[in-house]
Amino acid sequence: MGNTTRDKYSYYVEQKALDVTDRPRKFLEAFAAVLEHGNYGVALETYTRLSTKCGRCASSCQLYEDTREERDIPCQRSELLMRIYRRYFTQLGILKARFSRAFILTDEYLDTMADEFYRCTACRRCKSSCPLGIDHGLITHLARYILSEIDVIPKALLVATREQLEGVGNTSAIPVPALKDTCEFLEEELEELYGVNITFPFDVEGAEFVFFPAVSDYLLEADTLMGNAAVMHVTGGSWTIGTGNYDGINYGLFYSDRMMERIVNNVIKEVHRLDGSKVLVGECGHATRSAWYVPTFGGPDAPPVVNCLQYAHEMLMAGRIPLKKEKIKERVTYHDPCNIARTGRITEEPREILKAICEDFVEMTPNRTENYCCGGGGGTVSIDEIREIRTGPLGKRKADQIRATGAHYVVSPCANCKKQLREVCEDNDLEEVRVVGLHDLLLEVIDFGVPKPGEGDEASESEAAGEEE
Amino acid sequence: MTFDILLQWLRGPVFWAGLAFMVLGLGRHVAITVWGIIRSYRRAGDKTIPTRQVVSATLRWLFLTQGLKNRLLYGLNTLIFHISIILVPIFLAGHIALWERGIGLSWPALPNGLSTALTIIAVIAAVTIVIQRVVFRESRRLSRFQDFVMPLIVAIPFATGFLVMHPAWNPFSHQFMLFLHVLSGDLLFFLIPITKLSHMVLLPGTQIVSELAWHFPSESGSRVGEALGKANEPI
Repeated sequence: MGNTTRDKYSYYVEQKALDVTDRPRKFLEAFAAVLEHGNYGVALETYTRLSTKCGRCASSCQLYEDTREERDIPCQRSELLMRIYRRYFTQLGILKARFSRAFILTDEYLDTMADEFYRCTACRRCKSSCPLGIDHGLITHLARYILSEIDVIPKALLVATREQLEGVGNTSAIPVPALKDTCEFLEEELEELYGVNITFPFDVEGAEFVFFPAVSDYLLEADTLMGNAAVMHVTGGSWTIGTGNYDGINYGLFYSDRMMERIVNNVIKEVHRLDGSKVLVGECGHATRSAWYVPTFGGPDAPPVVNCLQYAHEMLMAGRIPLKKEKIKERVTYHDPCNIARTGRITEEPREILKAICEDFVEMTPNRTENYCCGGGGGTVSIDEIREIRTGPLGKRKADQIRATGAHYVVSPCANCKKQLREVCEDNDLEEVRVVGLHDLLLEVIDFGVPKPGEGDEASESEAAGEEE
Repeated sequence: MTFDILLQWLRGPVFWAGLAFMVLGLGRHVAITVWGIIRSYRRAGDKTIPTRQVVSATLRWLFLTQGLKNRLLYGLNTLIFHISIILVPIFLAGHIALWERGIGLSWPALPNGLSTALTIIAVIAAVTIVIQRVVFRESRRLSRFQDFVMPLIVAIPFATGFLVMHPAWNPFSHQFMLFLHVLSGDLLFFLIPITKLSHMVLLPGTQIVSELAWHFPSESGSRVGEALGKANEPI
């Protein structure tokens, strides 16, 4: 699969993307199939009729605010796809083409689309500023889907998905023995650092929760995973990691509904195999949003989906997570991952947890449903070769927001946001800021009821003194 | 004399044809949208709709309050524009009198002073909307020809209507101005369903339409794969 190229687009694609012939016809065939079998038709029909080109969306797009390039106005980008729809899929467009020199879909036009739709992070912030309710994130999603059918897919996303569906079984190509080794190591770390014996349970049949983090957490986010395990431990939660499928990542959301459906179905299959009852998603925005599609593809018997933030929040509020007296002292701010916050589905739970465990929690502005994307949304964070635009025009606004808070910790419960925010901080003179997951901090303040190794007697003495008071 | 005959014609058959064209055209849009919504909902694998959110977004935009959040001046101007152009044609005493004479229906009218004020506001707002469209770099870059022209076309019946009602300001004959007024009004009836003016009926549905597009049919992906002969193709 080493045959890749960056000759044409800002990102690498596999050579096969350049070998496709007769692309306009194939694109239109794919477009027709997607319209027939999906629910996009009525949206496109409505959007193409009522778009007023007011340009309000521009004022909410962080990319346009920085580049000021016409092509970065959300409405302008969406028009690329809407023009094709209008010309080839509406009666008026077909009629007009008979009597006048109409727009014709060409290879060059498709190449423009290929570049433009991967400059957008599909964060959907602009939707709330469109008077006509046009969802430009939806158009980006759809355009990328149809482009993928003529093999225009960033190599980084394609290779990971191939590994997940046809290779080792997960996007980071971690084999089961390596996964188990990692978890053993994490167990030892927990013992060593916190003096507590916590296990990462594998293939427990009948467990309530089957755990699906972003699989990259096993390589990169040890503290987040230890936090997840610690919360399950102190709350006595019944959970398991399935060795048949332990990856919540779903790049299908970023480029293909076909892939998305297959990946979600594999999640459902694993929960059924283990006779589990719920999907527990780790700290990952897009994995959560994809998992919310479990009822779509799984039908009435689909297992319910719970994000680990919702679980931790519920347990904390019920008083089932014992906390130390000392809170996190440094200033903490929270970045809302678009995929869980934009629709308002998960915005308050993480804040309530943070307020309970931090002395100095500050908001960045704007936040919640109005937040700015980290700059790496829509899978762009995985495309290393476009880092310059991600941390530059796309990430600058986020860097300014973080700087304005003066926070030491930026908390974001999303694997993609964390990777991107670290790069944003590196490239924007914010080296002193630490980007962490929410469970990383939670782990620091959970009271396991045993003295922390090394602090031993002193700690327990002071605690005892505190209790007497 | 000629204007009299033309006016009779514009106020009679052309008016009714225009009204019918508009009602049928908009009715077609509504039918297509409602049918699309029902079909999408039926096919959706997950039928849980965040109703509160959809309704709230719809109402916020229907009453343009959300529009004041960024670009305040532009938002205010469009708000005033919409209020004026919706109220005046329907609630002008003179128009209601015509309806009563024609089909015997009447309803409460706006005071004449208020109608006049709103008419002037509508014209000014239309012109400034075009100016704002030109001044704002983003909207200027996006705009098509119709985007610049449409507010002005909408303003013509208001400007001419004002002159009909205020002969002292009218440089032309009353008949001629009335002719222009009715002509431009009739023209709008024909334009509404086939231009972006159709947003008057499409806007209430746009939020639910957007929401439903994300509610995929349960096998939409695999069906597309089969349709394209890619079901078993390696990734």
